[in-house]
Amino acid sequence: MKLLWAVSALLLSCCRANASTAPNIITEPSEVSNQTSATLSCNLTESSLPIKGSFWTHNGKVVDNSNSAASTPFTSLNLEKITHHSAGIYECVFMTDPKVKQTIEVKTLPHVTTHKHSEHGNENSEAVMVCESHGYPLPTDWTWFKEVDDMQTPIINGTSDKYEIKSTPNKTTLTINDLSINSDIGDYVCSGTNELGTASDKIHLRVRSRLAALWPFLGIVAEVIILVAIIFIYEKRRKPDEVNDDDDSGSAPLKSNSNANHKDKNVRQRNSN
Amino acid sequence: MPPSPPDSLGYKPLDGGWGWMVVFGAHISIGFAYSTPKVLSIFFKAIQEDLGASYSEIAWISSIMLAVMYAGGPVSSMLVSRFGSRPIVMLGGLMCGVSMVTASFGNSIVYIYFFIGIIGGCGLSLNLNASLTIISKYFLARRPLANGLAMAGSPVFLCLVAPLNQYLLDKFGWRGSLLILGALMLNCCVAGALMRPVLLPCNSCASQKMVGEEPNMCNTKVKKGCMKEAKNFLNVSLFKNRGFVFYLIGNMMFIFGAYAPIVFLPAYAISQGVDEYSAAYLLSIMGFVDMFVRPGTGLLANSKWIRPRIQYLFSFAMVFNGTCHLLCPLLNTHAFLIGYTVFFGIGFGMVFALIFECLMDLMGSQRFPSAVGMVTIIECFPMLLGPPTAGLLVDICGDYKYLFFMCGSVIVAGGLFLFVTNIYNYHMLDKEKMEKDREQKEKPSENQEQVSLSEVQI
Repeated sequence: MKLLWAVSALLLSCCRANASTAPNIITEPSEVSNQTSATLSCNLTESSLPIKGSFWTHNGKVVDNSNSAASTPFTSLNLEKITHHSAGIYECVFMTDPKVKQTIEVKTLPHVTTHKHSEHGNENSEAVMVCESHGYPLPTDWTWFKEVDDMQTPIINGTSDKYEIKSTPNKTTLTINDLSINSDIGDYVCSGTNELGTASDKIHLRVRSRLAALWPFLGIVAEVIILVAIIFIYEKRRKPDEVNDDDDSGSAPLKSNSNANHKDKNVRQRNSN
Repeated sequence: MPPSPPDSLGYKPLDGGWGWMVVFGAHISIGFAYSTPKVLSIFFKAIQEDLGASYSEIAWISSIMLAVMYAGGPVSSMLVSRFGSRPIVMLGGLMCGVSMVTASFGNSIVYIYFFIGIIGGCGLSLNLNASLTIISKYFLARRPLANGLAMAGSPVFLCLVAPLNQYLLDKFGWRGSLLILGALMLNCCVAGALMRPVLLPCNSCASQKMVGEEPNMCNTKVKKGCMKEAKNFLNVSLFKNRGFVFYLIGNMMFIFGAYAPIVFLPAYAISQGVDEYSAAYLLSIMGFVDMFVRPGTGLLANSKWIRPRIQYLFSFAMVFNGTCHLLCPLLNTHAFLIGYTVFFGIGFGMVFALIFECLMDLMGSQRFPSAVGMVTIIECFPMLLGPPTAGLLVDICGDYKYLFFMCGSVIVAGGLFLFVTNIYNYHMLDKEKMEKDREQKEKPSENQEQVSLSEVQI
């Protein structure tokens, strides 16, 4: 009996506690989907706790200039231009004790981008193409297409060894094995879908032939050989003239000595050794 | 041992004519030698991804190539003295070309170390040494200008090959690019073909043979016996020459501080708030200024006021360079940094235009090959130690300005050291010359007798 009284008293006190201190935040709007701008507002009702201030957070980080020391139970945040950067989970936080907060989701279409719009691969080797998505919510579905003459044919993962697709919510990777110049050059489209819609981006794949560098190489080697040949032939043709000059000065030692007399330095050097 | 007079060639050098073609060949050869280790870094990221090497493993490629290029100096000078410049430059070009082509088929980083680093480095060292030597054979009166023009090859090729490498990498991938780069380096063979050996008129060959020590200069390249070569290439007697020792010490101090600012300049600029693209552009500005300053300095050094006292210009250039570095930390804005880069380019170009000309001036053409071999192998150490030490300083102190202070002060100290020691050296040289003149005046009759003796024998 006494036990029954104690338990019911405990339950009643709990209920009373809940009933008297349960704050309720009314958010307006409750969710933002695909709008270019919005004003988020929170109204704290049914709370008798003192409010020391309020602020907003975006994806866990406090929004600049949203800190307010006013003790009003109403706060709002204006989003002038909603892009994939500003999409995400917003929370209005009232600085009561304990803090109370409510969430408003701002959703946009996925923003799909790729770092390189032009990828290279070597023939018979592999090429990796990467697409990323930012924003909220992240795509739940990724698809790759090969674009041929404005016709997009989907690439299905796992049907052959040629294509491998690995996807996570914010990134997708398409790996093409054993590249061939005939069939693999072209545009590839990555497409990400979330609850609001789909976005995509295009990558152009170029396949380098194995022997692509060979032709310039052979060309330059040929140029080197030709130039060296020209230089040596020119020299051989000039040589007979030079030999004549040498004979003239060599066969007349008197002449050379008289030259030496004019340039005393030469004489001095030979003798000093 | 009296310092050798600068005009100990024994013949009147061409100072023009075909000599300018030789300068062109040397320009190409030196250009490849200095720019290749630097521009290879453009391929590093692609090689790293393909071969799965770490960043420091990749950076070793350039370091090995530079180290081998400098360390191969004595061997290269021995080969040049024995065979002449032409075959050596052609061999060097062939080695470089083959090394790049073989490296393009590589599948491991050690393979690339061996082919690009060691074989390529050997080829470049042959190129460098032989090109400098042939200039000293072809030029005397206009040698500073010829040196300035030839050394200008380094910034010219750096400015040409760097964007070319980027283009080749995009179009052909790193393997194709190395293949084509190898073919381009074969052009050093063309440069070598231009380096016609000096054919001298045959003056009194008989007396030459009698004297014995003089090399046989008749209608052939300058040749020496094998034993002399072995003695020459690690010629310790070089150290008995006080001018050489002073030059070596000053040079070592310069090289220690010279390269670190180049390596860290973009990073410093970025830390001062300059954007990445403009920071990279700074080095291009420096290269561009360097291109014009080197021949300009050569021309200046050739003038009749400067030429006899060229070592002072060299010390001035070093002090100028060092002062630029010391002032750099005071410059924070982008505009000032560009100004610093321009002055750095001027100082750097001046020093490098004169660096080998001064050695030729000190040692003369005969001993230059072995001297330059010795200088390059000793310079290997400060060159490899400089940038890492500077990097360590930045890591410890956390600020780039200490790097610039260190490099600037070492270079200024080196310049002042050279200035003071050259005052002493020039003074001693003048004194020795006066004594020699006096000796020669005292024995004019002996000269006459010796000359008539040689006439009779011929």
